[in-house]
Amino acid sequence: MSLPSVDVCIVGSGAGGAPLALELGRAGFKVVVLEKGRHYQPKDFVHDEILNSRRNFFMPLPWEEPHLVRQGPKARYERSNAAWTANCVGGGTVHMSGFFYRLKPVDFRLRSTLGAVPGTTVADWPISYEELAPFYDKAEAELGVSGQATPHPFAEPRSGPYPLPPLDTHPVASEIDKVCSAMGWHALPTARGIISKAYKGRAPCAYCALCGSYGCETGAKSSTLASLIPNAIATGNVEVRPGSMARSIEVDRQGRAKSVVYLDKDGVTQEQPAKVIIASATAVESARLLLNSTSSRFPNGLANGSGLVGKNLLFSSFGGSRAHFRVSKQKAARPWLTDPAPFVNRSLQDFYLMPDARHGFRKGGTLGFMWAHPNPIYAAVGLAGSGKSGVFGKELKDRMRAYRDSRILEFEVYAEFLPTPGTSVTVEPGVKDKYGIPVAAITLDRHPADFAATRFLVERGEEVLMRLDPDRVERVGTQGETTILQHGTCRFGDDAAASVLDKHCRAHEVPNLYVVDGSFMPSGGSVPSTLTIAANSFRVADHLVRTLKG
Amino acid sequence: MARARSLPPKLSRRTFIQRLTFFGGGVVLLGAAACKRSKEAEAPKPAEPTGTTTAGQALRTFSAFEYAVVAAATERLLPRDEDPGAQDADVALYIDRILETQGLEAMHRDFLQGLSALERRAQRMFQKGFAQATPAQQDELLAIFKDSPAGSGEAHFFELLMTLSLEGFLGDPSYGGNKGRVGWRLMGFDTVGTLAMAPPEGYDGPKCLRECGGHHP
Repeated sequence: MSLPSVDVCIVGSGAGGAPLALELGRAGFKVVVLEKGRHYQPKDFVHDEILNSRRNFFMPLPWEEPHLVRQGPKARYERSNAAWTANCVGGGTVHMSGFFYRLKPVDFRLRSTLGAVPGTTVADWPISYEELAPFYDKAEAELGVSGQATPHPFAEPRSGPYPLPPLDTHPVASEIDKVCSAMGWHALPTARGIISKAYKGRAPCAYCALCGSYGCETGAKSSTLASLIPNAIATGNVEVRPGSMARSIEVDRQGRAKSVVYLDKDGVTQEQPAKVIIASATAVESARLLLNSTSSRFPNGLANGSGLVGKNLLFSSFGGSRAHFRVSKQKAARPWLTDPAPFVNRSLQDFYLMPDARHGFRKGGTLGFMWAHPNPIYAAVGLAGSGKSGVFGKELKDRMRAYRDSRILEFEVYAEFLPTPGTSVTVEPGVKDKYGIPVAAITLDRHPADFAATRFLVERGEEVLMRLDPDRVERVGTQGETTILQHGTCRFGDDAAASVLDKHCRAHEVPNLYVVDGSFMPSGGSVPSTLTIAANSFRVADHLVRTLKG
Repeated sequence: MARARSLPPKLSRRTFIQRLTFFGGGVVLLGAAACKRSKEAEAPKPAEPTGTTTAGQALRTFSAFEYAVVAAATERLLPRDEDPGAQDADVALYIDRILETQGLEAMHRDFLQGLSALERRAQRMFQKGFAQATPAQQDELLAIFKDSPAGSGEAHFFELLMTLSLEGFLGDPSYGGNKGRVGWRLMGFDTVGTLAMAPPEGYDGPKCLRECGGHHP
C-alpha cells in the first residue's frame, strides 16, 4: 500500500541528505527523509566505549549487514563492516571528528593536471572550484565551522574568514609550527566542524576528550543532527522517518522514479511516492540501492544503462605514524606534555601536488596531526597485538603501564585515491542482509601511485615527529584506505556515456533522480570530504529549488 | 600435538590496514573474529547456565565449571602483579554477562566451543583440567592457541578471549567488569568524569546496548 505522495523523498540524513531537506523545506516543499538508523537525542551520547565504539550503536553488526570486501578481482570476498558510516539520523556526521577541509581548485581538474595516468579512470569535474565556493561558504555558515585561513602555497581561495574562530589547541601545536617552519613547511590550523563559540542556539565545545567516534552530547559538533536537521524539521515541511531501510526505487512506465520502497521501523514494507527522489546513503550504499532497483526498463539497476553505477569507487588513501613520549622521562623538559587540551589541529598541505613524478606520483595529499584516541579498550587491543607477535600476561601489563606513562602524538594521511577500472561496488544477489536485501560487494584494486604518495607523505610526517624528539616513532602503515570516506560510484559529468549524473547530480537516465552523497565525485580530493559533500548538496538544492519552482 | 577436533575454520583475516584512528577503533567490532555468517549461528544453548561465582553472583552464560576455566584463563591474560588483574576486575563475570547480548549468538557459541576445546587440550596435555593446571601450563596452552594459524578455531578463540577480557577490564563498570575501575587506573584512563562527561548516575550500559540493537528508533 502506498503512502501519500510528497514532493521529495530523500534516502539518508547525513552530509548529503540533510542540506537538501533543509533547503527544500525552507522553500515550502514537502519532504520525507528516510533514515535507516535511529534518531538519537543528546542524552543518548554517553561516554561508554563498549556501547559507542564496539557494537552496533553506530555501525551495523557485520553478520547482520555485511559488506563483502576483496583485495583484487581474483581474491575471495570477506564479510566486513568496513565502508559503513554511522547508521543514524545525521549519518557519519554524528561520529565524525569533523576535519572540515575544502577541496582545492586542482581537485576539480585532476585529469587536466595529471594528464592521462595509465591504469586509472581519472576525470575532471564538470564544475570548477569557483562554482562550488559560494556553497562552501554556505555549508560552513549553516553547519558551523571553526578555523583560521592561513596563506600557504596550496591555499584555496576564500571569500572571507571562517564563521567561527579556531578552537583552542594543545601547546604541542606551536611545537609543530616551529619544527615545520624550520623545514620550510607550513603547519596550518585544521578547520573543524565543531563550534568554538555559541552559534545559532548551540552551545560551544566543552573540550571533552572523547570526540571523534562519539556523538556530541552538547551539540557543539556540527553534525547535521545538531545543526541542519532540527532547522529542517522546524520548517514544518520535513518529516524525518528513522528506522526506514530503503530497498528499491521504483519507476513508472516513462522511466521516471516514482517511489521508494522501504521497510519501516516495524519491518513492514512501505512505499513512499514522491515527485523527486534523492539518494544519499553513502557512495557504497547508494550504488547498492540503485543496483538493487531493477526493472524491465532498467534491468541492470536504476540509471545504470551506462553500466557505470558502482564503478570508479574511491576511498581515501591512508597512512600514518605515531610518536611516543614517555611522560616520566620528558615531563621536566616539556611540561606541556600533560596538558589535557584535546585538539592539536595542525595540518600539512605542502605536498598537495608535486611539480613532477620523480617520487612515483604527482598528486599527494594532506597530513593531519592529533593526539591518539584515548579509548582504552581500543588502545589495549593494539597493545596486545595478535598472532605470533601478540602478547599476554606480564608483558601485556607492562605495555599497559608504559602506555599509562606515555602521550602519543600521531598524524594521519589523506592522500589521493586514484580511480581504477577494478575498484568498484556491485551487489551480490546470493548474500543478503538481515532485511533480505542483497548486500554491497566491494573490490579494491589500488593504483601503485597511491602507495607511493602515501609513503612519501608518511615519511614527511615522520620527519616532523622525529624533530619533536620523542622516545620512539612507530609507523602505523602506508598502504591503507579510509573507508568511511567514500566517493565516485555515480560520478557526475557532462558526457552521459561516461558518467551517471549530470553536473546538477541528476541522473542522466532518470530526470527526477538525484544522488548527493560522495557518489558524485570523480576524484575524492586529498582531504576528508564531509564538508565538500555538504557544500555540493547546498549547490544541488539551489538548482533543485529553482527547477521545482519552475 | 595433533588438532584432532579442531574448531571450525574462520574467515581469513583481512590484511590491509583500515584507518581506525578517526574512530578510536569504532570501525572494528571484536576484530575479524566477529565477521561470521548469521545463518551458521543457530547458537545451540547447552544446559541452562547454572551455579554462581565464588562470590555468589548468579551465572547467565557459563556453568560454574566453565566459569572457573574462564576465570583462570583471563587471569593468565591479565595476571595480578603489583597491579590488579582480571579476577580483581571481575573480567570473567563481564564475559558471562556480555555473551548474553542479543545479536552475539554466534560469538556465544564460538566462545563455548573454544572453551571446551581449551579444556580438552588441557586434559590431553596435562591430564588435568585447565583450572587445575599450573600457571606455567596454562600459559603454555594459551600460547598454543594464540600462535595457531590465523583463521583456525584456536586463534579465533584466543582473539575472542583476549578482546572480551580487555573489554571486561577496561569497559564501563556497569557491564560487570572493571570493578573499582582498576583497569582504567592501570591504563591511566582518567578521562571519563574528568575530561569527558561521565555517564549519568545509575547508567546501565547493557540496557542501552539491548535497546540500541536492531533498527528500531
